[in-house]
Amino acid sequence: MSDFLLTQIINYGAPILGIIVFIGALGAPFPGTFIVIAAGAFAKQGLLTWYTTGLVALICVVLGDSLSYGMGFYARGPVLRRFQMSERWIQAEATFKRWGGMAVVWTRFLLTGIAVPVNLIAGTSGFGFRRFFVYDLFGEAVWIFGYGGLGYLFGSQWETISEILSNISGLALGLFILATGIWLGIRRLKTVEARKAKVPEA
Amino acid sequence: MVPPRQRTLILGLILLGFMIAGFFGLRALHAFREFRRHGPPPLEVVFTEQAPETDVELIRDWMTIPYISKTYRVPARALFEALGISPRGNEDKSLAQLNEEFFPQSPQIVIELVKAVIRAERAVPTGLPPFPTVPPPLTAVPPVVP
Repeated sequence: MSDFLLTQIINYGAPILGIIVFIGALGAPFPGTFIVIAAGAFAKQGLLTWYTTGLVALICVVLGDSLSYGMGFYARGPVLRRFQMSERWIQAEATFKRWGGMAVVWTRFLLTGIAVPVNLIAGTSGFGFRRFFVYDLFGEAVWIFGYGGLGYLFGSQWETISEILSNISGLALGLFILATGIWLGIRRLKTVEARKAKVPEA
Repeated sequence: MVPPRQRTLILGLILLGFMIAGFFGLRALHAFREFRRHGPPPLEVVFTEQAPETDVELIRDWMTIPYISKTYRVPARALFEALGISPRGNEDKSLAQLNEEFFPQSPQIVIELVKAVIRAERAVPTGLPPFPTVPPPLTAVPPVVP
């Protein structure tokens, strides 16, 4: 898949890159980071113009993200019917409204594996579109110009750079899951201890 | 006491997190060591125009002949001639596609030939006329070796 996409980019340039990142933003399992770093290296070789390519890719990926946000937004009705505005749902919505901006930014370039679920959750939980758009634009600009910039800087070594960054992204996801597990465990233990402490008083 | 379902979920998350972090952490370390072995490019070339690539080991199956020609500054015509393939209609095909279409019985022959042509071009010292001979064209079906 990666090889096919790379051949298409060297043949057709920025429009193909735009289509790839757009479809990737909708959830297709494309190696987005790998492709963006490669595009940076192609820009260094004079095959692509860095600012046009960067701009096209940024517009397309933000469009894709906005569309997946929209899918979540229009799924809000059925989701609310399912959860009946339960206490937990309200709590989850409040948590996302508080931390959603950070979640959107970090999942654009580091925890990229969960970017699409975050878009859907943002839409479903009523996270404002303007806020989503600003955070999304910032995060994607870091992804496109930061990662593409690394491909540009390291030129022919872009494959190694891409491998390092993809693995760092996987490592970050693993650490995030681990931290979530530990945090849930500690929170649960505290609740149990608080309950135990209350029992003798009663 | 933590309910069994929640305990399973928490332990599962911790275990999964450990496994994913360990797997990707080791791979990142390996890739980083590989990067350090080659070393980053010198700072003075980072912001200047890309010099012609010289390392033929960086040629990959997904590359096309015009792309290789541009990157290695080798005439595309010489590469197509060495392969015995017409440029017409084949310029946007990858080396893998060319190999599959023209030399299905000889895997990797296209990439090896391209590397050989570039090495031959590189072997010519600066100031001398270009390398006089191009490897003879191949037939579409290579001879059968007994």
